[in-house]
Amino acid sequence: MSTTPRPDPAALTPRNVSALLQDTTPWLSCDECFERMDTYAEALVHDPTYRDEAMAAHLRGCAACDEEAESLLQLLDRP
Amino acid sequence: MTAVSRDGQRSTTSVSAPPSDARGPVDWVAALTGGGPEQAAALRELHALMLRAAAHQVWRMRQALPDPSPSAVEVIVNQAADEAMTALLAKLHTFEGRSRFTTWAFKFAILQAATEVRRLQWQHREVELRDLDVPSSPRHEDPDLYAEGNDLAAAVAAAMRGVLTPYQRRIAIALLVDGVPIDVLADRLGTNRGALYKTLHDLRVRLRAELTANGYLAVHPATPPDPVPSHDTSRISPTPTAGTP
Ligand SMILES: [Zn+2]
Repeated sequence: MSTTPRPDPAALTPRNVSALLQDTTPWLSCDECFERMDTYAEALVHDPTYRDEAMAAHLRGCAACDEEAESLLQLLDRP
Repeated sequence: MTAVSRDGQRSTTSVSAPPSDARGPVDWVAALTGGGPEQAAALRELHALMLRAAAHQVWRMRQALPDPSPSAVEVIVNQAADEAMTALLAKLHTFEGRSRFTTWAFKFAILQAATEVRRLQWQHREVELRDLDVPSSPRHEDPDLYAEGNDLAAAVAAAMRGVLTPYQRRIAIALLVDGVPIDVLADRLGTNRGALYKTLHDLRVRLRAELTANGYLAVHPATPPDPVPSHDTSRISPTPTAGTP
């Protein structure tokens, strides 16, 4: 058996804490995020300062949608 | 204005096609639904677009693949492109021309490919739905990560016990602590990404309210928020006002 002490199972890392306390308001669903993703990406490519608060909040709080939005942006940037 | 309008005058000649649609038809929706050789050509062009976006996505996530060999990647890309094309054609009537058609199309292939890579990544892994006080399995443990426990972390754990339901805690831990992808968890639980994200959103609102009431979060979060611990490089960061070093 390993002698490595087991961590306190309830202990949360700083990254866990950040993820748990992420402010995901204003509310936007994954479906709405998908619906907006194309116009959002084009707007950002056109103007890097473009802001959509609900999209930004969703992408901070949803790793899967965030990966897909980043990917679309990258694809549009390199036609 | 965009040149492609779902409800616009499709039969009239557009003055100009958007630059990125240069390879495809001026009016994709008309071409894809019109029949004849023009439809066949549009379908081929669309499939090429799907392949390109799916390949892009799989390439981005290739490190997550159990088998990243070129032949395995090709199979995934082709399958994702085919499925994305089916999904897109079923939604074609919803295209409103607010973006270029190609951009709209890309997102279907990206979603399909990313979902498939995450599914393959977890294909042979068990998904644990553990509560806060149940240790993760050894493969997830990294004792160094737990060395910097602080008051905020303890307060969050207490709030999880106090204001979240057992189901909310398990979803939060699976998604945000154990790193189970949301679509993988949705698949295992027989639900969907949207429903799990709603659960996540609701429990975050509860946690933030509790931590705010206890003085750990600012009532009006600063914009942009300050990072919690100074060494954490995560993009997500609440605004602690107490309990942090
Ligand atoms: Zn999402």
